[in-house]
Amino acid sequence: MAGISLRCANRHRKKEIIAIPKKNHIMNKTIIININGTVFHIEEDAYEILKNYMTDVKRHFMNSADSHEITTDIENRIAEMFSEILAGGERQVIVEQDVKSIVEQMGSVQDFENAENGEDGPAQYAYNNSGSRTLFRDPDDHLLGGVCSGLANYFGVRAIWLRLAFVISIAFFATGIFLYIILWIVVPKAITRADRMAMKGEKLNLQGFKNSFEEEMTAVRNQFNNMQTEARPLVYKFRDFVSEFIYHLGIFFKGAGRILIKVLGVLILLACLGAAIALVVALATLTIWVNPHSHMFPFSVMTFEYANRLYIAGFFVAFIPVLFIFLLILKAIFNTGGIDKNVGSVIFIAWLFAVGVVIFYGTKVATNFRDEASFNQTVDLIKPSKNTYYLKLNDVKYFTHDDSLRLEIKSQFKDMVITNGNTYNDFQGNNMSLHIEKGDVAQPVLIETYKAKGRDYEDALINARRTKYIFSQQDTIFMFDRYLQRQDNAPWRDQEIELTLKVPVNTIVVIDNDMGDFMRDGVDLYQCRELNKKPDMPNAPFIMTENGLTCKVDTLVTPTVDTTKIIKKK
Amino acid sequence: MIAENTQTQMRKGILEYCILSIISRDETYASDIIAELKKAQLLVVEGTLYPLLTRLKNNGLLTYNWVESTSGPPRKYYALSDEGRKVLEQLDKTWQELAFAVQTATGKKK
Repeated sequence: MAGISLRCANRHRKKEIIAIPKKNHIMNKTIIININGTVFHIEEDAYEILKNYMTDVKRHFMNSADSHEITTDIENRIAEMFSEILAGGERQVIVEQDVKSIVEQMGSVQDFENAENGEDGPAQYAYNNSGSRTLFRDPDDHLLGGVCSGLANYFGVRAIWLRLAFVISIAFFATGIFLYIILWIVVPKAITRADRMAMKGEKLNLQGFKNSFEEEMTAVRNQFNNMQTEARPLVYKFRDFVSEFIYHLGIFFKGAGRILIKVLGVLILLACLGAAIALVVALATLTIWVNPHSHMFPFSVMTFEYANRLYIAGFFVAFIPVLFIFLLILKAIFNTGGIDKNVGSVIFIAWLFAVGVVIFYGTKVATNFRDEASFNQTVDLIKPSKNTYYLKLNDVKYFTHDDSLRLEIKSQFKDMVITNGNTYNDFQGNNMSLHIEKGDVAQPVLIETYKAKGRDYEDALINARRTKYIFSQQDTIFMFDRYLQRQDNAPWRDQEIELTLKVPVNTIVVIDNDMGDFMRDGVDLYQCRELNKKPDMPNAPFIMTENGLTCKVDTLVTPTVDTTKIIKKK
Repeated sequence: MIAENTQTQMRKGILEYCILSIISRDETYASDIIAELKKAQLLVVEGTLYPLLTRLKNNGLLTYNWVESTSGPPRKYYALSDEGRKVLEQLDKTWQELAFAVQTATGKKK
């Protein structure tokens, strides 16, 4: 009796797959199988039949209490028959015919069913005509792995609904995709006729449904257990899954996917066309119409001489790939067009050249930003008559002669035109900032720090010098210009101005709301207005203390100064 | 369909009786049982025998021994248990009765 347990322990069939070319005139792949401890060489076709047969047999006896023993007996018997076939010594390999005759001798699952019909034995079989269904993937009706149609068969609904449900579930964190892949791996494919019959089953009653559901859960659990205990089969299973997945992907692209791909292709073609048109328009705009002395970023970065070369090269760098994708998709989808090899290589070389040009001039532009320089300039202000200063933003905008011409503000104006309003200025970005600090003298002091970048320190310093900042004071009113101006033809080199206003302690500083964007050191006008419970005020009062500038909370109404009262001062 | 059903029922009952009878002669290997059953045209395919043997064994009618084989894996040799012998005796008796019944019943037709 000790032998039983020994045999049982050996029961797991482990299959090692090794390709050995046969020395016959026909090359055939041979597989080595191990049936309960005995090793056989078997041809691949024969192995497939045997595997399917054993899978069927195992499924058939799956729900019998003795399934283990019965299938082992059958396996042992098959092993014995193999041994007998090979005993003659004429052959060393089991071939398809051998397996077929053995299967015939053993009988198909159908034969087993016929023999068991009407039996009232203790064993319950999954495939008798109780009307239960088994969960399989349906290979006859599938878009991908047949999971949905298999589930549909199992629950007796139309596959379309389950497919729809899966597709919708993808929207919820892609749960559907994971579920699908897990089911694809775990749920067996209906290979044989018996499988398919079991899959489609008869109508279910509630009890039958419950039973078979429990059976399925056990089966699925077993599959999971097998995955855990046998790492190698899992690897094979995954490999099978991957190859099957690719195979189905191919079918998908051939069928329903084909239309999808075409639609996608047309969309890409249209996008390419749009991109090409946009590029041509952009090039034309840049080279023909745009003022080379523009203050607009990024055109302001470049010096005039090589700007056009850079634009044209940039155009080709972008345009050639767009053209290439266009032609490629045209060829792939509609099988027309395509690029001649020689023309293709010429275009490719042209593209490389364009890339080279872009890199060359790009680095040239970039080198102009290599170094940084700054210088300070201290402006001693006139001591105001009162202890309260008003900080205002000067909305007057100075246009260069060129700008005023271009914008048709005043065609005959010689030097500058002045306008109110701040809409135009937004192109230049904020290049002014203001700090307010505690001063140690009785009068206010303004320190202007000019900064710029350049090829080297000297160039940077020159760039910083070629700027103009206008600050004006009218007694207690300090007018700050919005921008640091570049002089004519000076390229944009990240010019900046940092202003530091030093005021004596106890000075009240009333800052206009317009100034809010330019204030540094955490001066928050909005918060200050809130503290004063007057959020609609046009300005906010601050006071200079020993610890720096703080919001002045006052119950009194802060005096305001009307702009019209500003007296023009020399 | 009805004929088929009855045939299966009849075969099934006789099959178990025959298996027990074959095993009662000597310790027997499954393929020997099959050979005899095939000769008697009671069984067509081998596969159906294994569940039957397993069930009879689990019901305590059969025992088996592992015997090493020169060709292939070790074989299970089946023998009747004491209970199996008792059951076989009963079945023998039943069969005699049935044979008589059938003879009588079918004889009348002639």
